[in-house]
Amino acid sequence: MIVLTGLNHKTAPVAVREKIFSGCQKKSDLLPSLLSLNGVNEVLYISTCNRVEIIASIEESGNALKDLKDFLTRNGGLTEKETAGCFYEYRNEEAVRHLFRVASSLDSMVMGEAQILGQVKEAYREALEKYATGVVLNRLMHCSFRAAKRVRSETGIAVNPVSVSHAAVELAKKIFGSLDGKKILLIGAGEMAELTGQQLISKGAQSIIVANRSLAQAELLAEKFHGEAAPLDALEAKLVEADIVISSTGAPDFIVTADMLRRIHHRRKNRLLFLIDIAVPRDIEPAASSLENVYLYNIDNLQDIVDENMNVRKKEAVKAEMIVEEEVARYINWQKELESVPTIVSLRNKAEEIVKDEMDKASGWMNNLSQADQEKIDILVKSIVNKVLHAPVTVLKEESSDISSRDIVAAVRRLFRLD
Amino acid sequence: MNFNELGIILFNITVILCSFSTIGYLSSLLIKRVRLAKISTWILFFAFGFLTINLLSILFNSSGFINPGSRDFLSLCAWSICAVYLALQVKTKTRVLGAFISPFILLFLIAAAGQEAGRTLLPDNLRSPLTSVHLFLTIVGEALFIIASCAGVMFITQDWLLKNKKLSRMIKLLPSLNDLDRINHICLVWGFPVLSVGIIAGAVFAELSWASGWLKDPKIIWTFAGWIIYGFLLHQRLAIGWRGYRMALISGAAFILLLISYGSVRFCFSTLHNFI
Repeated sequence: MIVLTGLNHKTAPVAVREKIFSGCQKKSDLLPSLLSLNGVNEVLYISTCNRVEIIASIEESGNALKDLKDFLTRNGGLTEKETAGCFYEYRNEEAVRHLFRVASSLDSMVMGEAQILGQVKEAYREALEKYATGVVLNRLMHCSFRAAKRVRSETGIAVNPVSVSHAAVELAKKIFGSLDGKKILLIGAGEMAELTGQQLISKGAQSIIVANRSLAQAELLAEKFHGEAAPLDALEAKLVEADIVISSTGAPDFIVTADMLRRIHHRRKNRLLFLIDIAVPRDIEPAASSLENVYLYNIDNLQDIVDENMNVRKKEAVKAEMIVEEEVARYINWQKELESVPTIVSLRNKAEEIVKDEMDKASGWMNNLSQADQEKIDILVKSIVNKVLHAPVTVLKEESSDISSRDIVAAVRRLFRLD
Repeated sequence: MNFNELGIILFNITVILCSFSTIGYLSSLLIKRVRLAKISTWILFFAFGFLTINLLSILFNSSGFINPGSRDFLSLCAWSICAVYLALQVKTKTRVLGAFISPFILLFLIAAAGQEAGRTLLPDNLRSPLTSVHLFLTIVGEALFIIASCAGVMFITQDWLLKNKKLSRMIKLLPSLNDLDRINHICLVWGFPVLSVGIIAGAVFAELSWASGWLKDPKIIWTFAGWIIYGFLLHQRLAIGWRGYRMALISGAAFILLLISYGSVRFCFSTLHNFI
């Protein structure tokens, strides 16, 4: 039986999550310890900043699921009372569905984020290294990767950016195409501006100039980006050099005015200018937007893009859920087929045993035959056995995906006295 | 199968492929899928291949002359636009531009289909290597200006979408402003000298064979006006530093103006260039 238990940002407060997360992180023999629990056949441990989960293949009888939960509680140095209501648990199909949804980022805090699949793959890699997985979980994990890949490629769930900084980067790309060699001017040393600047640099922007009222603070941030610091008095000169401006000061008035931009228009040689104003109250005069080759976006404009993209993701999530369902059904079919495999193997073994016994009995008179004739009889017997077994084996394989497969398996086992 | 039949088959394949490519490009704009534009680019590439073979065989059979009164001349116009567009693809990868260019190529091919093929109509007074140079370079030059203007129209559209915060899927489909401005720049920088040499070749030929009177031809006057406008644009771009919106707007407007003037000259005046 496949089970999944754990806790995430929806079910447990951060205080509980972080204790369990760091408790398990410290344990070097985590997977072997989980495997040593009574009734646990295969196991996999996934941990991200928002979730800690254990997926296991366990014996149906026994208390393995409870043991797994107790294991997590114990490692987090918590009591059962403290973790009451924090854990969720899923069995069989439910567990498969949950894992597929996690891998496809449908269960993430930011739906459609890309990191989770990498984290799940990493967890699987670790389990493989420790020989903690077997036939059931190996197949399950590969199916979860396929589901996630399909969700990513067949839906638009991860297409549009859902953070203000990503939205700004996407807009910059629509204006400049490639960001290679572009100069960024940060006005103010706010956290959001820093984050957006970081994103732009990672996409190829060349350098950063930080202009701030306090030069010391500007220098501090500029050092981080290996950029240049400038006082606010030098703003106009720095605007001439910049391609992208991100403003986030706490100033009550406009810092960049339309007149200022008009004045430097010729010195800039009419180059395209992307202005991002994430300050409240605004730093850049809205009239700047009407200037030629100047594109101004304030925090509300960016937030609108993010909201719109979030709505698109929610719509795409419906399609994604359908893909997950298809993949769950496919996995469950395989699992059911797996249930009939031991019976098919036993059936073949039984038939081979009978053939062997009968051939041994007949060996007395068969030795009088020539080698060629003996081989012909051998082939004939095997062919008859195969033909007789063909129908029941086919039925077992075909019906394995059906709900009545257990009855058929039981009937075959009884008819051929396989138990 | 004789040479003429082969030419007709090649031409027909080109028209069919170009029609598919145009439909593909326009559909890619409607359904907003870049993949379809990519497929259309490949179809156009094959159409270009067939048209190239067709034109090469015509040139080979007519000893380097293309008859301005025949299908072959308009085919050459379509070929030139196609060549310039595909060359730009290698440099900028802005496939959506095809949605604006491919209808022009198809229009030239349809107009060509309406004309008679063959070299029997070639007027004796136009038999000179200079006419071939003049025709080829003027067409390539004009093709470059057509593409510069299309890029300009796309720039204006993308600029409007960005300024008005209309961040629909359309904005994702259109190339970035910088790329469009670069296309406009490349086309002007190459188009102007090519057209200049083409016009000079035509003028030399006219001076040698017609001696006088040709300067008063309305189409020559309009071509000269167009050449001056593009020269002005190139000057503003290189010397004054115009770029982006203003450049896109003026090159688009210049193109529309030239198209209107061409139409009025074509239908209202008699001209030496009555083949186009």
